[in-house]
Amino acid sequence: MANSSYYKPETIALHTGYTPESDHGSRAVPIYQTTSYAFDSVQMASSLFNVEQGGHIYSRISNPTVSVLEQRMAALEGGTGAICTASGMSALFSTFITLCSAGDHIVSSEQIYGSTATTLRYTLKRFGIECDFIPINDMDALRSAIRPNTKLVFCESISNPGMEVSNIPEISKCANSFGIPVVVDATFATPSLNRPIEHGANIVVHSITKWIGGHGNSIGGCIIDGGNFDWGCLDEKNKKKFPELTDPYAPFHGINFWEEFGPTAFVMKVRSEAMRDLGAALSPNNAFLILQGLETLDIRMKKHVENTVALRDWLLSQNGVSWVRHPEMRDDSHIKEMFPLGAGSMLCFGVVGERKGGAAFINSLSLATHLANVGDSRTLVLHPGSTTHSRLTKEDMEAAGISEDLIRVSVGIENIEDIKVDFLNGIKSALRTIK
Amino acid sequence: MLVQVDELNIFVATGGKIFDPDLPTILFLHGSGGDHRTWAMQTRWFAYNGFSVLAPDLPGHSLSDGNAFSTIEESGIWLAKFLNTLGVDKVHLVGHSQGFLTALAFAEHHNDLVRSITAIGTAAEIPVNEHLIKTAETSRDKAAEMMCNWGFGPNAHQGISSVPGMQPIGISRAIMKNNPLEVDLRACAEFKRGSEISKNLSMHKHCILASHDKMTPMKAGLLLAKNMSVNPQIIQNSGHMLPIESPKKTLLALRKFIETIAS
Repeated sequence: MANSSYYKPETIALHTGYTPESDHGSRAVPIYQTTSYAFDSVQMASSLFNVEQGGHIYSRISNPTVSVLEQRMAALEGGTGAICTASGMSALFSTFITLCSAGDHIVSSEQIYGSTATTLRYTLKRFGIECDFIPINDMDALRSAIRPNTKLVFCESISNPGMEVSNIPEISKCANSFGIPVVVDATFATPSLNRPIEHGANIVVHSITKWIGGHGNSIGGCIIDGGNFDWGCLDEKNKKKFPELTDPYAPFHGINFWEEFGPTAFVMKVRSEAMRDLGAALSPNNAFLILQGLETLDIRMKKHVENTVALRDWLLSQNGVSWVRHPEMRDDSHIKEMFPLGAGSMLCFGVVGERKGGAAFINSLSLATHLANVGDSRTLVLHPGSTTHSRLTKEDMEAAGISEDLIRVSVGIENIEDIKVDFLNGIKSALRTIK
Repeated sequence: MLVQVDELNIFVATGGKIFDPDLPTILFLHGSGGDHRTWAMQTRWFAYNGFSVLAPDLPGHSLSDGNAFSTIEESGIWLAKFLNTLGVDKVHLVGHSQGFLTALAFAEHHNDLVRSITAIGTAAEIPVNEHLIKTAETSRDKAAEMMCNWGFGPNAHQGISSVPGMQPIGISRAIMKNNPLEVDLRACAEFKRGSEISKNLSMHKHCILASHDKMTPMKAGLLLAKNMSVNPQIIQNSGHMLPIESPKKTLLALRKFIETIAS
């Protein structure tokens, strides 16, 4: 059971946030394809704008279809509230700028998604926010990297593409002892396999484009507030550490988000500021499609994990496969504690023939799809050596932690025997490149 | 704002406006383990519509210093000091659950200061299961979980929220587990004079009850309404946590009552 619902996850995914509406009894969540919402009166309009009562004003800020998805995500992750955004990257950017201002600092895991690393390393730097990258499971490195102006520690529960599992309980204990919240990108895990808030994280971010939506048809992101961080804490000089949430906010009549909303202060600030200013709203159509995926998340994840384990074990026995990498193949105890049901459905492996072998493998596949996405219900593969990293030398690729033969697989929910047949063809092709 | 009472810093939410004792004042009192955020969706409306609002975190709760009171009577005495500190000479009292017991304890001795009294999701007496109190003594987290399970009605359990994207159960658990539930619950259990006091209230009175209240069941709420000689307003499909799970309906019911008196 999560903190904010007494239903089990499978039930939350199907029912939370919506009951058949009174006018027509629609069983499915309706798509509220509207930009805006009629006000009953001037007084009502005024009270909505002034956060005197809840409700919808304009779909850039909130939308009834999107809100159902938000409430489900909040309940599934055990948070106090959630906000959906147009993409996973906009969810991350909204989170960073809600907590950080010019002169602030972020500590991030060095093992993260490339676009997130670019945001942290280059984009935010232009706005005076600096970031240090560390091996996140090294607590000494984490303690050393934290500065008086550090505003958050960032990691991915399962990193992309390295598949390192962040030790969230230890990271949270360490960061929180300095009065710093932990933000976790849990895209690769989904709440079916791991709920970071239960392990001490304070904010969870998802690209719901991936397993949550699960069908490769819609881009979206989500931010979940754990409601478990004291934003009113003071720094070593007895000054407010998070004035972004504890100082009066002029655009809303001087509202103090922490005093007013407590466990939802962060997510209310995101709604009030980032959604207004960035405009990265999730469309109601995409929310509807993602909701269809979310409703079957739990059974899909079970099948994803089952297929991944079977494929991993099969690959290990194949002549022509040089190596296989999957989080559960490591002995770290925190992986088993955090992922009792399986550590996701991503795996990497190498084939003989280096770059040529990898390319031959990919070209021989007919079932798995070669593309730059993960988390589809269909099996997806990518050979960085002939796509994303094709212009790099072997040495440059190794520096990036990617070997020329690496094949990244997002294991789908097809019949595993069909996946094996397809991969066997690929392996045979890779073998031919060395003959 | 922060107010000093008995040399302790007390946090008081004022609905986003600077407190003005010259305006009609509404005092909102939270229930066991709660704080001023119970009233987040009521206080701002009143503050921006001609009223002054006071929603304190009682001593020992959330943003206020000190220790929680072990008896309801002590809370009532403290309330008199609190209002005196702020220079308030007439007040509309609004109490949720234990907050209403505190309002009763205050009203008993300060009838002249009370313009009206509103009971929300409550009863004249609130017997508390000893198992719940014992649980709170060993684990506030566990007790908060039990309270929220019983305290919220069907809509909240279904994850319905009038504030987009929020989860009322998660919010309440996060607040309750950090507050002195065990002291509050014991104080409720030991307060036995609610029936007597509620029969002798001479100010304007109102009673707002929830159809699915399991903490202070309808039967007890209706008895309170009878004691107060009022027709209770019953909010359907809501549980005990009325101000949080049915904020608009609670606000509307309060507005109608208080605006009628004011006019």
